[in-house]
Amino acid sequence: MGNQHVIEMKGINKQFGSITALKNVDFFLPTGEICGLLGGNGAGKTTLMNILYGLYRQDAGQVYMDGKLINIQSPKDSLAHGIGMVHQHFLQIVNYSVIENIVLGADVKHPFTSNLAPEKQKINELCTRFGLELDPEATIGSLPVGTRQKVEILKALFRGIKVLILDEPTTSLTPQEVDSLFQSLKVMVKEGLSIVFITHKLREVLSVCNSISVLREGRNVISLDRKSAAEEELVKAMVGEKLDVKKSIIFSKGKYQTVNPKYRDAPIFNTSNLSYINSDKVKVLKDISIDLYMNEVLGIAGVAGNGQHELVEVIMNIQQPTSGHIRFSGEEFTGKPTRLIWENGLVYIPEDRLDDGFLPKASVAHNLILGFHNTSAYSRKGFLNWKSVFSKSRQMIEEYNIKTAGPDEMGSNLSGGNIQRVMIARVFSQNSRMLVAHNPTRGLDIPSTDFVYQKILEKKKEGMSTLLITEDLDELMLICDRIAILYKGEIVGVLAKKEFEKYRIGRLMSGFRDVDSKTKREG
Amino acid sequence: MNILKRALPYLGAAVVAFLVAGIFIALMGYDPIKAYATIFGTSFKTPYGFIQTILKWIPLTLQALAFTIPFATGKYNIGGEGQMIAGAIGATAAGILLADLPIYFLLPLEILAGIIAGALWGLVPAYLLFQFKINEILTTVLFNFIAFNLIDYVATGPWSDPTAGHPTTIAVGEGGFLPNILTSQPLNAGVLIALAVAVGVYIYTNRTVSGYELVATGANPKASRAHGINTRVQFLLALVLGAAVAGLSGAIEVAGTHHRLIEGLQSNFLLLGLIIGLIAAGNNMAVPFVAFFIAILEVGARAMQRTMQIPVEMVFIVEALLLIFILLSNVVRRRKA
Repeated sequence: MGNQHVIEMKGINKQFGSITALKNVDFFLPTGEICGLLGGNGAGKTTLMNILYGLYRQDAGQVYMDGKLINIQSPKDSLAHGIGMVHQHFLQIVNYSVIENIVLGADVKHPFTSNLAPEKQKINELCTRFGLELDPEATIGSLPVGTRQKVEILKALFRGIKVLILDEPTTSLTPQEVDSLFQSLKVMVKEGLSIVFITHKLREVLSVCNSISVLREGRNVISLDRKSAAEEELVKAMVGEKLDVKKSIIFSKGKYQTVNPKYRDAPIFNTSNLSYINSDKVKVLKDISIDLYMNEVLGIAGVAGNGQHELVEVIMNIQQPTSGHIRFSGEEFTGKPTRLIWENGLVYIPEDRLDDGFLPKASVAHNLILGFHNTSAYSRKGFLNWKSVFSKSRQMIEEYNIKTAGPDEMGSNLSGGNIQRVMIARVFSQNSRMLVAHNPTRGLDIPSTDFVYQKILEKKKEGMSTLLITEDLDELMLICDRIAILYKGEIVGVLAKKEFEKYRIGRLMSGFRDVDSKTKREG
Repeated sequence: MNILKRALPYLGAAVVAFLVAGIFIALMGYDPIKAYATIFGTSFKTPYGFIQTILKWIPLTLQALAFTIPFATGKYNIGGEGQMIAGAIGATAAGILLADLPIYFLLPLEILAGIIAGALWGLVPAYLLFQFKINEILTTVLFNFIAFNLIDYVATGPWSDPTAGHPTTIAVGEGGFLPNILTSQPLNAGVLIALAVAVGVYIYTNRTVSGYELVATGANPKASRAHGINTRVQFLLALVLGAAVAGLSGAIEVAGTHHRLIEGLQSNFLLLGLIIGLIAAGNNMAVPFVAFFIAILEVGARAMQRTMQIPVEMVFIVEALLLIFILLSNVVRRRKA
């Protein structure tokens, strides 16, 4: 073995309460290579790397670096060994400059003055060496996500690391930014670094990694060389036997049975010149006009934080729009109470299940009827009909494969994936006419994600229209009929299915309007 | 099985609380076993003791519900005694002004006046929260102080009874006395009202749509809002409902126990109500049972003071220990989970 592997993790076990996160996992990082750590949500990828970085301690197993056993107790230890990690959520101070963020917590040459000239020089050197272009004096808050990620990588490089761990680094990036990240990674490897690339996206692994390890449900499935990796084999390794790959939407490459939206009829839902000024007096939505037709899935693409959250909250009237109109099935919906919006068949999956999607201190049944509790399905004359609530709940638990002891179990006992299933079951439980879904597949493993797509497409056939808001371009391009791109609170373009092209959407996501973009309709 | 499992940590906490308090009693030079025998025995040895316990139970249950109803939405009503005083004043005013009415008019009017006065006393803090987001803990407490001065004014004012030797009003009309439901013992019909309220609150929170919204609001206000529940209205409603129940407790004290307004009739029911509500962990169904247990302690404590000269404050120590150990057992269970 010798120095062939810079990192060797052997027999790693990790238990969280009654949940086994990792079971006897081995992981090898070849020196000077990019190793893809592939797996669906909840497979244990991040947990494994958090152990290497010292955020968690393993219950059993050893970590070797260059063949020597090392003991990592905290991120301080791992940094001392030259291991750095870039998390999905950046740990940055937004009103500090790039350079201040990078040197924060590191040793500086002049600790008692704020003379950071030597550090600035070092950072500039690192930037040129690794092809990371950025201005060290810029304030973090003013930078796009892709650049902020470069800062995070620089933070690690500044500390002289040899091993870099990237956790789902492409989540909030435009395709262009992804390409530029991959370029930099290749340069880093040439300069002698070894990189672990955590992702659930097969395509990325195939395009940038030298070797691939697949985890599923906390166990090793396969590890192989890029050259010998066949896509089908990897798919199978990731999803296991639970998913019928042939019938799945995710692996269908867009070739599934569907219906065309009714573009000839009037739109079922539309907003005209919708604007919203938030409590900080910032205009976060600017004249948004969108049309949604019967049987249509309309995607809203954009880097997170460009007004997506405000747009859905204004549509559901959780925030009141400053100006503009919302119409739903021919009726004025602007300013309609949220309760009536739900009861009229316009339903909503909120972005953050723990924040505004779920009641942890109430039963599963309470959660399954939330939003519909006042409809005739569950109540009469102000009294709840628990009998029908419970029978419907049991039916939903069964159909949506929610792992729970029963309808009266407390919501707080459910895992994240199961909470997401409750929210999915909730919106599909009544015959709603329109769904606003914000990150509906967040935190779901591959079979569950596929299940959500199948449900959305099945309901689409039955006539439901969906407004799908997500950062995941693959998801949007897979199931949408049209994609509108939101940039700084503005719709900068609407593309029809035949115009879907990753880089074109990416350009719009960074605010470059393309000249020939028309809001053309298909059919 | 399930109920036993859930009750077990509470029983354990109670045992530990009594053990620790027993050590204090022993250190003070008394016999703890005899003391506890007195505390627990008094309520059951004589019919009189039992009736006294029930009479204590009425305001304790109502005060606890006045706390737990808003608590279900995550709001704290610490104004139970102010609302109780307001309710008592409202009932007294009705009882004196309409003193000549027959019982089937006067009594309902008197009780209703108490409920409305309590609700209005709670409405002001609730509205300040609704409209200006002013913290309800602060305002409900401050409204207690206003109530203390108000009862002083009323009990020494135009209706005052100069012969009483303590700030007291004249009696309400005889039609405003809650009738006794037993011939041998002084048990008034207030116990039936309190029972009905306890059952009503349970039905409201567990069976009605509005109660569902109350529970949902408490479980996660943001999610409730996203799913069409007007949480601000829920906060307002829950606080006013709680205050109405507290007002009712004041009306029952007037109509059932004193037949007049007496300064200090709020006793320490607020604190005991908070303790009961917290021991019951906000569970409305558990409140009447916990309240009964605390009523036993309260009645037993007086007897203990009479017969053994152990200061009645000893029971406060027991109650405080009980609360501390129950809260601790919750922490321990959460750690284990």
